[in-house]
Amino acid sequence: MSDILAVDGLTVRFGGLTAVDSVSLKVPEREIHGLIGPNGAGKTTFFNAVSGLVTPSGGSIGFLGRTITTMPPYARAALGIRRTFQSLQLIPRLTVLENVLMGLHTEIRTNPWASLFTLRGRDKGEKEAQARVLATLDYLGIGATILSQTGTLTFAQQRYVEIARAIVSSPPFLMLDEPAAGLSPNEVRDLDRLLRRLRDERGITILLVEHVISLVLGVCEQVSVLDNGRLIAEGTPEQVANDPKVKAAYLGEDSGADGH
Amino acid sequence: MWVRFCERWFGLLLILGLACLPFFLDKYTQFVVNLILVYVTVGIGLNFLLGYTGQFAFAHAALMGIGAYTVGLLTTRLGISFWIALPLAGVAAAAIGGIGALPALRMKRAYLALVTLAFAELIQWVLIRWKDVTLGTDGVSIRPPRFFDYALKGDYKIFWLILVVTVIMYVIARRLTESRIGRSWVAVRENEIVAQCNGINVTATKLVVFMVSAFYAGIGGGLFAATLGYIVPDGFGLLQLVLHFSIVVIGGMGSVFGGVIGSLLLTTLPELLREYPQALELIYGILLCIFIIFMPTGIAGFLKQWRVLPPEVMSRNWQALRDRPRPEKRS
Repeated sequence: MSDILAVDGLTVRFGGLTAVDSVSLKVPEREIHGLIGPNGAGKTTFFNAVSGLVTPSGGSIGFLGRTITTMPPYARAALGIRRTFQSLQLIPRLTVLENVLMGLHTEIRTNPWASLFTLRGRDKGEKEAQARVLATLDYLGIGATILSQTGTLTFAQQRYVEIARAIVSSPPFLMLDEPAAGLSPNEVRDLDRLLRRLRDERGITILLVEHVISLVLGVCEQVSVLDNGRLIAEGTPEQVANDPKVKAAYLGEDSGADGH
Repeated sequence: MWVRFCERWFGLLLILGLACLPFFLDKYTQFVVNLILVYVTVGIGLNFLLGYTGQFAFAHAALMGIGAYTVGLLTTRLGISFWIALPLAGVAAAAIGGIGALPALRMKRAYLALVTLAFAELIQWVLIRWKDVTLGTDGVSIRPPRFFDYALKGDYKIFWLILVVTVIMYVIARRLTESRIGRSWVAVRENEIVAQCNGINVTATKLVVFMVSAFYAGIGGGLFAATLGYIVPDGFGLLQLVLHFSIVVIGGMGSVFGGVIGSLLLTTLPELLREYPQALELIYGILLCIFIIFMPTGIAGFLKQWRVLPPEVMSRNWQALRDRPRPEKRS
């Protein structure tokens, strides 16, 4: 199996602080890969470097065999690196439809002049986009909310809307930043099932940052552990859970806590 | 289906009703109506920038001046047809707006406001000082546009022209805001980082909105010149800009309807207050403050909340989704 993401010696410095310190990581296709570590370990910075929001001080990032280290974030999104954020980043006043359509920005290929001068309902690109949004929402089980105002939905539904926006363009690679934060145990179980379905039915490779350790250990094939910006352990959930270095990193922290 | 039907035919009836107005209005009221329509285009243009994309740019009045002077100078001094001059007014404003936007693309909030304000002052300075071309503070008289051999002279006849152009600009605005372009503007307004991660090139999006907004200002300026028949550089200064901002904020930021409502109210208001010109600026100021603090979505937002106006969902023909059968629940 080939690697979809190949990070080599990635280093990110902010002034004197080294947030990510020569981390190398490979994620094979169709894998759910966990990224854990104590607060401030550099997980989010690593995410931001892969999505292009921060410029690495050293190392390289490869995606689907291409080097994307200096590529701007919108071009990476167009290549198929999509992500969600730790806190909900939706537009509450807009409908679910509009929010999810934003994830299709690079996919809608209508001629702008044609869209100006065609009649209502004849706009093919927009119609297809709406159909894709609806199919994605139905897939996530929230199709009925398509015309609801996003801010009126439950927290869990809004999380799903954000996931819908990330996957509506059928990207090969999805990065989830603490998707289980704020969810009830039942909702976490649904999320677990959803991640497996995304991998098995849609072939999406997932990189998962998560504080809910039970989800990470349950759903991930491989787990990488960051501490102080360094990669301190890597392996199957069992190997990582029993690694003395990992235990030491988490010592004094409540490793089973639901994040915040 | 029903709402859709109403909305569609309501628009057509409204246009037909408006087209009959010259038969009922006196000359002065007709002039005010013409101005209202001119400001619909101008207001919608600024709303793209301010309401949809959240960019505090202050060059709109100056860009309107570019449009007005393009029409004025091309038709009067070079004898070019109004029908060619008007689109060129939009293009000229878009080009100059685009060039002005280049240094502004990396700036935000107060910095963007300052840079664009300086840019606007520069344009006005050129209009005043470049006397050989612009005739300076003497101003430019505009010859009435001709429709074949028929001169569109006077407030009644020019109204038809303005109505047609306004309807076209309105329809284009609705189309834009219902497309990926309009959605990318809103995405940039809400959060540039999230926009980027959804594949939106923030810099390109801002450049596009600056240029589209300037195009609207230019077309509005061209119509303004045709309505007034005489333009001076002073007409495109700070007071003009305050009027544009009031139209957008009071009408409703991020709403195409807002531009229409705002221009209707704020063009009528100064005419009602002819006797007390000093009070005008004060009233603008107070209204702006009240709306920004208590009604940030403006009158359009208020009317949409109470379902007097239909929702403006930013996707073409979204109403079709309402009519689809309910999906069966997943097991």
